[in-house]
Amino acid sequence: MANTASAHGHAHAHHWETSVAPLLIVIGVLFLVVFGFLSWFSYNNILWTQICAGIGTPLLLAGIAKWTAEALTQKPVVEGLTPIALPLFIVSEVFIFLGLFTSYWTMRLSAGDNWPPAGTPTDMNLILPIIMTVILVTSSFTYHVAEEKLAKNDIGGVRLWVFISIVLGAIFLGCTVYEYQHLFHMNFKPSTNAYSTAFYSITGFHASHVLVGLGAFLTVLIAALAGKTNKYLTFCVGLYWHFVDVVWFFVVSQVYYW
Amino acid sequence: MSTASSGFKLGEWIFTTDHKRIGILYLIGSIAAFAVAGIMALLIRIEQAAPGPTIVSDAFTGGDQYNVWLYFHGAAMILGFLIPGLTGFAANYLLPLMIGAKDVAFPRINALSVWLFWAGIVVALLTFIVPDKPDVMWTGYPPYSVTTAGNTALYVFTVHLMGFSSILAAVNFLVTIIYMRAPGMGWNQLNMFVWSCFTALIIQLIFVPVLAAAVTLLLFDRYLGTHFFDPANGGDVLLYQNLFWFYSHPAVYVIFLPAMGIFYEIFATMAKNPIFNYKAAVYGGMCCIVLISGEVWVHHLYYSGMPDWLRIGQMVTTLLISVPVGLMTISLFGTLYKGAITFNIPMYYGTASLYLLLIGGLTGIPLAMTVMSVHLGETSFTHAHFHFIMGIFATFSVFAAVDFWFPKITGKMLNPAQGKLGFWLNFIGVNITFWPLFIIGVEGMPRRYWDYSQFPSHFAGYHKVATLGAIIVAIGMILTISNWIISAIKGEKAPDNPWGSNSLEWTHTATPPGPGNFPAPVTVDATWTPYSYKR
Repeated sequence: MANTASAHGHAHAHHWETSVAPLLIVIGVLFLVVFGFLSWFSYNNILWTQICAGIGTPLLLAGIAKWTAEALTQKPVVEGLTPIALPLFIVSEVFIFLGLFTSYWTMRLSAGDNWPPAGTPTDMNLILPIIMTVILVTSSFTYHVAEEKLAKNDIGGVRLWVFISIVLGAIFLGCTVYEYQHLFHMNFKPSTNAYSTAFYSITGFHASHVLVGLGAFLTVLIAALAGKTNKYLTFCVGLYWHFVDVVWFFVVSQVYYW
Repeated sequence: MSTASSGFKLGEWIFTTDHKRIGILYLIGSIAAFAVAGIMALLIRIEQAAPGPTIVSDAFTGGDQYNVWLYFHGAAMILGFLIPGLTGFAANYLLPLMIGAKDVAFPRINALSVWLFWAGIVVALLTFIVPDKPDVMWTGYPPYSVTTAGNTALYVFTVHLMGFSSILAAVNFLVTIIYMRAPGMGWNQLNMFVWSCFTALIIQLIFVPVLAAAVTLLLFDRYLGTHFFDPANGGDVLLYQNLFWFYSHPAVYVIFLPAMGIFYEIFATMAKNPIFNYKAAVYGGMCCIVLISGEVWVHHLYYSGMPDWLRIGQMVTTLLISVPVGLMTISLFGTLYKGAITFNIPMYYGTASLYLLLIGGLTGIPLAMTVMSVHLGETSFTHAHFHFIMGIFATFSVFAAVDFWFPKITGKMLNPAQGKLGFWLNFIGVNITFWPLFIIGVEGMPRRYWDYSQFPSHFAGYHKVATLGAIIVAIGMILTISNWIISAIKGEKAPDNPWGSNSLEWTHTATPPGPGNFPAPVTVDATWTPYSYKR
């Protein structure tokens, strides 16, 4: 065959590649999220919920730990593709948020003058979201410093600045928890009205992304503490965090200030 | 050529990150879903064989039982069989081989995808164990899905798990196609199947998250008491239908495109012809479908109420999409032109699909027309239409794919006599099943009804014929699938390239391919294409 070639002399894999991590993660998610949710919400069984969470959580964590360990030590099929894959995944995330915001806009625009609907506290705290914005933007900068430290091979600096970013992210989540408690106290719950529906869904969904981002930070930190770094991992985690940051601007402008 | 594998090791299968084994895991899962969903279809048909309760226990609870069958049949066939059968099994097994890659870009993420899909199947199968069986069709429309006693969460989590699996697979394969083609392989040298997956996965990447958002809001409405779809509290019921079909109409193309891709491969190989109008089919056909696919979903809401200008606009875009589909169909027919056609089982399914494409496509046109759609839309005419194009056409493509690549995957040949008998039963059976539904649909038989005693009595005769057809199909399916299992174990040994194909998966790999796919890295030059046959 003239128009194709097989260059000989290259060794190829002689065994089937395996990894325990993906299956561990899926079983963990199945128990923790799916079975846990069903036990709690569909069948109101606290014992089952505890059992499912008890089985799921360690499996999930073990899976993630195993995955990270493998990713940091094994050579990928083609190197450097993660920074291309993550933006594609973020495209997907953008559309999830678009779905949520579209639902909110639909309710908001069809309500006309009847907004905010009855049941919304008249004195919503509008200072807190500003503070939260400052915290989140700062954490993006501090993480960027960590990335620069990595470029200079200063692993101590990476540890320090990633740790600072984690603290800032945790304060952000703490603010959310405080805000939710405060609003619940004022009898503003997800089921109160159309605004509470959108408010809790969108801020909650964003907060869940902050939580995932914090988990990713923790992964980088633990690896760095063990003396291991990976520029692609560090870059992707940062990119994800900046995305979560950008989404927050939309959350603040649309949900709090509109 | 030799492979390194020796003997069956369970750990090497369930922990595998190899794209070929993951492909086979996808196939096993999707055929399992197909079998159970097929049994549901049989129950539905047997129930409809006569008006009034046939196999449901009584007239009072009959509807509830019937709804559970409808739910499982629809959800499992689309989410559990067609999408994972095509973009899961076929894409996984074939795509890296066709582009000359050792594996996909992220093998571990690939393994995560397949097990998320399996978890989705497990959650779907819980339907038969839980007391509060979900009964929300595959669409889960509120307000019913929010107020029903059935367990809507099972439906939502099935969608979530399979959706997340699809998104990860889409990212993985898009990166693989863009960055891991063999050195020298240009975009116009790709297999049609690679192109069809590329375009289908772009659709998955963009639209699946919207469905995920829709069902998540459904979950909130049901279990947290929010009001997204509750008009009494400022929500909007139609919002769900819009979000749902914003994904679920493009999902039709996620199934259609790889199905066409499979038939292109089979036709070119069996006719020893290049693809007719390759660039028109790829850029004018597949890429245009991606562009238009997101602008046609509102035709699913024709009867849900909307202004006329929107209805007319959506009629135009819906009809417009038949242009790229037409380009692809012309290429498919043209590829056979003056070919030296080898007529074997994959070609049986291929030629049958030309007919299914024609009937399914033409019956879609009256449904796209707003005026006729008001009459036909909610009848069994629609039911028969989408079963021809979505159900049978796409199912035949999966069968054709398994039959065509069977020698490569297993190293064995299929039993041709059993395969042909299975094909004829399938093909005759689906025609007997769905033609009567076209006819009584025009006369006004509604979709989704379990009892039609209030309708003209001659409907019962047509339904009996349709049920007979379904039983014939069931026998055909058993023959087809048992042929795969038996032949994989003790079939005749297959040569490396039994069909004389020029595609990389046949010319450059062992049969079956071992770890790392290619004994040596592959490069191609500018004159190579998978379809350059010397005649």
